[in-house]
Amino acid sequence: MIDALAYAVVALAGAAVIWGLVSAIANKPPGKTQLLYAAGLELITVVQSIIAAAKMIGGFRPAELATTIGYLIGIVILIPIAWLWANVERTRFSGIVLAVAAFAVLAMTLRLLVLWTPTG
Amino acid sequence: MTDSSPQHPDAEVRRTNSGAGRVLVAVYGIFALAATARASVQLLTKFDQAPFAYLLSALAGVIYIVATITLARGTRTSRRVALVAIIIELVGVISIGTLSIVDPEAFPRATVWSWYGIGYGFVPLVLPIFGLAWLWHTRPIAAPEPVEGP
Repeated sequence: MIDALAYAVVALAGAAVIWGLVSAIANKPPGKTQLLYAAGLELITVVQSIIAAAKMIGGFRPAELATTIGYLIGIVILIPIAWLWANVERTRFSGIVLAVAAFAVLAMTLRLLVLWTPTG
Repeated sequence: MTDSSPQHPDAEVRRTNSGAGRVLVAVYGIFALAATARASVQLLTKFDQAPFAYLLSALAGVIYIVATITLARGTRTSRRVALVAIIIELVGVISIGTLSIVDPEAFPRATVWSWYGIGYGFVPLVLPIFGLAWLWHTRPIAAPEPVEGP
């Protein structure tokens, strides 16, 4: 984990949550820009997981190894699934689905920051 | 205008996987993933520390998976299965939540339902209530008028 990158993911995910809720309040399905933004968030999340995996391969051992690995894998599948699920039936609720997934990414990244402490 | 699916005015197709139901399925899906992954890690790496709590975590995971799939399918049969799963979920979160406070010794390690799901922002407590409300809201016998908010 790189702290700065993790906080960037948190901020970008937070913006995605707000965007999803705003589009829902406006009673619109997520627009093209919003979907691209979600894809961008996914890309950065993937990069984060790859960097963390590389650090672990390089010898870093977080205290809760299995949990950390689970989070690093789980966090990258949320947005793609939410994206597909949100696009099958495009209503304002699609925006909330994206917001829910982005919130999970946000919460999981914060948790990963806590988990990312070496074996003590 | 408020009905998001005007092409399906029939009460028969008030499916659990449509409209706000898609959000419910998304939240259930996240909990299915979280609870199952958590239980797997616990069972595989430290089962002997708290077997009861970890088996309960696994049960919670299975219930979330069943609820996610059945709500997402939204057929008549799947509604019934969803109802049973969500009732078990509600009973589970209330009883385990209460037990974890009254008798913390029984739960030396946390489960999703400990302290009514405090580790997950109490979502595990409100989720089954929303689930039951949604099943009621989409019940097939109901009048077919749009009930969604503006």
